[in-house]
Amino acid sequence: MIRHVVFSLILAAACASLSLAEVVEFTSPGFPPSRMDAEGRLTEDWGSLKIIVEGDGVMAQGGTVQVVRLEELVPAAVWSCEAGPIRVTATAYRAPVFPSGMDVLTVTLQETAGQDRHVTLKMVVNPAPRVGLSTAQVEKRTVLAIPLETQQLLKLRDWGYTIDTTAMPGWAKPEGECDPAFANIRAGMGGIPIRYRFRVTRRSQANVVLGICESYWDRPQIRPLICLVEGARPMVVDPIDRWGRHQPGTLLFTALDNDGDGWITVTIKPVPGARDQNPILNVIWVFSGDQRPNLARVAKGELNEQALYYVDVGGVRDQPILESQDLSFPVELAANSSKKLTFYVACPGGSVVTPELTAWTTESLFQAAKDVWKNWSQSVTAR
Amino acid sequence: MCQQHQCSTCFNRRDCLKMVSLAAMGTGFLASLGQEPSANEGPGLTDYVDVKTLRPQPDVRVAATFLELPRPYWLGWPGTAYDLDGHQKEYTALLNASAKRLGITVEQQAQPLNSDASVDAWIEKLKAEKPHGVLVMLQHLHAWNWANRIADETKLPTIMFAPVGTAFTGHLAGPSRKTGVFVISSLDWSAVEMGLRMIRAKRMFEETRVLWIRGNQRNETVVERLGTKVLAIPRDTFNQEFDKQPVTDEIRDLAADLRKHARKIVEPNEEDTINAMRAYATAKRLLARENAHALSMDCLGMVGAKLVPTPPCGAWTLLQDAGITAGCEADLYGAMSLMMTSYLLDRPGYMNDPVPETVHNTLIAAHCTSGTRIAGFDQPPADYVLRNHSESALGVAMQVLWPEGQPITLVRFTGPNEMIIDTGKVVGNVQTPPAGGCRTSVEIELDGIEDSRDTLGFHQVVTLGSHRRVLEGFCQLYGIKVTHSPRFSTFQYGGQA
Repeated sequence: MIRHVVFSLILAAACASLSLAEVVEFTSPGFPPSRMDAEGRLTEDWGSLKIIVEGDGVMAQGGTVQVVRLEELVPAAVWSCEAGPIRVTATAYRAPVFPSGMDVLTVTLQETAGQDRHVTLKMVVNPAPRVGLSTAQVEKRTVLAIPLETQQLLKLRDWGYTIDTTAMPGWAKPEGECDPAFANIRAGMGGIPIRYRFRVTRRSQANVVLGICESYWDRPQIRPLICLVEGARPMVVDPIDRWGRHQPGTLLFTALDNDGDGWITVTIKPVPGARDQNPILNVIWVFSGDQRPNLARVAKGELNEQALYYVDVGGVRDQPILESQDLSFPVELAANSSKKLTFYVACPGGSVVTPELTAWTTESLFQAAKDVWKNWSQSVTAR
Repeated sequence: MCQQHQCSTCFNRRDCLKMVSLAAMGTGFLASLGQEPSANEGPGLTDYVDVKTLRPQPDVRVAATFLELPRPYWLGWPGTAYDLDGHQKEYTALLNASAKRLGITVEQQAQPLNSDASVDAWIEKLKAEKPHGVLVMLQHLHAWNWANRIADETKLPTIMFAPVGTAFTGHLAGPSRKTGVFVISSLDWSAVEMGLRMIRAKRMFEETRVLWIRGNQRNETVVERLGTKVLAIPRDTFNQEFDKQPVTDEIRDLAADLRKHARKIVEPNEEDTINAMRAYATAKRLLARENAHALSMDCLGMVGAKLVPTPPCGAWTLLQDAGITAGCEADLYGAMSLMMTSYLLDRPGYMNDPVPETVHNTLIAAHCTSGTRIAGFDQPPADYVLRNHSESALGVAMQVLWPEGQPITLVRFTGPNEMIIDTGKVVGNVQTPPAGGCRTSVEIELDGIEDSRDTLGFHQVVTLGSHRRVLEGFCQLYGIKVTHSPRFSTFQYGGQA
């Protein structure tokens, strides 16, 4: 009995003091820790990431950081701050992703003054990163990623690419009369798929035309491509075999918003086992479902104005689907509501997964952390 | 301080340290919650560990239903003559038998679903209960919309069984190539049971904790998509435990069996076989202590440093035959590939070093750790010759003699998201000598690969039988990209200068 009373008293004193900590650490079994400080800064071996919230009436008034166990099991750092009418809470834990782990940071923005608000969440990464569609890199190491669940909360354009591939303007040398967009491509270096999404009426049909021109290889069977258009039968095309080198070609697909999400997805992938695993794509046209386009005229660019969408892939007007830029995320908050935005952050020795290509979800990451921690007994340290 | 307390009612040392640590936080600047391995002393040195208890035995829950249209049927396939009650009774009996055989739980809807409302309700139930997989059995051409909705809206791995008479090519075009769906258009129930095996295999991956014995770190991670836990432990753990391992009756008996059942014994002496079985007992003890179900070890590094008198090859063969994955060279995805054949196909394979034989245009798949029960865990073992580990000329490694003319499958996870699958047939067992390399050396004629030099992968797992479509089905069900070696050689179009 005495033992439990003494233990409880010391535990209570210790817990009361947790909020006084200026820096807390968290990790996963056997790995070096990450740190979060009272200013909402997450420090890793590559640099740091600081959370800033801006907006009308929003004013940061200091913050506190403490160490907790999520679901009484997974160690985490929790930073909270009253920013005027917005309460900001950031929770970070280590997901035990093989082989080196990855930090998962969830920022909760809560409106507390009973008024609809527009705020902006900023992730200030130091040193300054190179920002892609859904990732940020520091010295070629991907240190931050925006998972798909978070992307759904962000503002999207009506069309755009959803995987960060390489734009290569002027790569192709199309011969004959054709749309100038045939000269530009995106390439999925290392086998990364090229993927675009187009907003359409839910469950509607569309006619999708893909324009392809191979200008590197001069023989067939080197770079065949798998073309996947939502609602249409998949098609394998070998551009050299079908049209020849430098020859612009077009393929027509009858697309359908199969899953009823209001988007039609177009994906170009490499053929497994093919020698060249870097898929390419030059042009996309999307026409309404009741307009069957003349492909010869499409290839010449004569129907560009009639298309619902015309994409010069890899050209100057190409765009990512996410409107957010420079790790600045506009968030609409209804009165007294809250929103959670989750991010993946590279931990010491690790990297982050690519959201569009990974099977990890925020749910499965946390489950993995629980699965691992239940096998390890808990200890508490202070320095 | 703490150590001086002798009172049995006081805190133990760990509690005491915890309290002191917590108290220190009151004045501390940096706080953290740390970790230490769960204390589990595991079995004693002479305790018997039943190898069967080491294989993962997950709970597997599958929800099942028939999809039919309101009765009576009039025109439209499967037709008015189709005996709905008779077929549903037959398939229900087959389903129950499969579930029993596989050790899984199937919860079947008492009545077939036959309306939008009943399908809506079932979808909501599935979303709430989250079974590990779903089986829908179609009983009408016009039930496909419901089947597709169930897969799309629940996002659960879904097996769609369409007995002949309930699907045309058009019905299969979409769902049969969709991630998360495995479509069977056939009267062959064994394909449905294979679908259920896929769900069970995925659960076994999730339940598996693989010991990754290498380096000097101890940590634990989880593999993407497959959910397998990887517990890294220092390499020295194994040789230190091996050194402690006494020779027990079990070890003597196993060593005697090993010699007795060999078609021939070439190099190993009795002590070698005893040591090989000490490695086996050590591995079992370590697995039990760490609550693990599989292992992959930096064996070559250990042998190279002369830390053990025997490479673990012979021990690994025994583990593989019992359904416990034992991988070589700390190749984690090699071990995951071994798990694939063990968990899905109920048979061991062996990971190999691939050697193209350019005269016969074949592939020689060579390593020292093949299982012997290559036709199935419950089947008689293949013949073997007792050899040593050829690279070191130490210990025991089996040359397992694979049956000539039989089909084989090569399978290799290149990562959690991609699998190489190829097939071929055994054309011979290569002897060492005259060849160098590894003891089990199987010469394979590959299917549909023009030039054996183009065979993809390294440490691909060789397993007996033609399993390409089954493995492809598993990959489709769980979103794993499938790659095959190229059918036509591309080297003629520009080999490197």
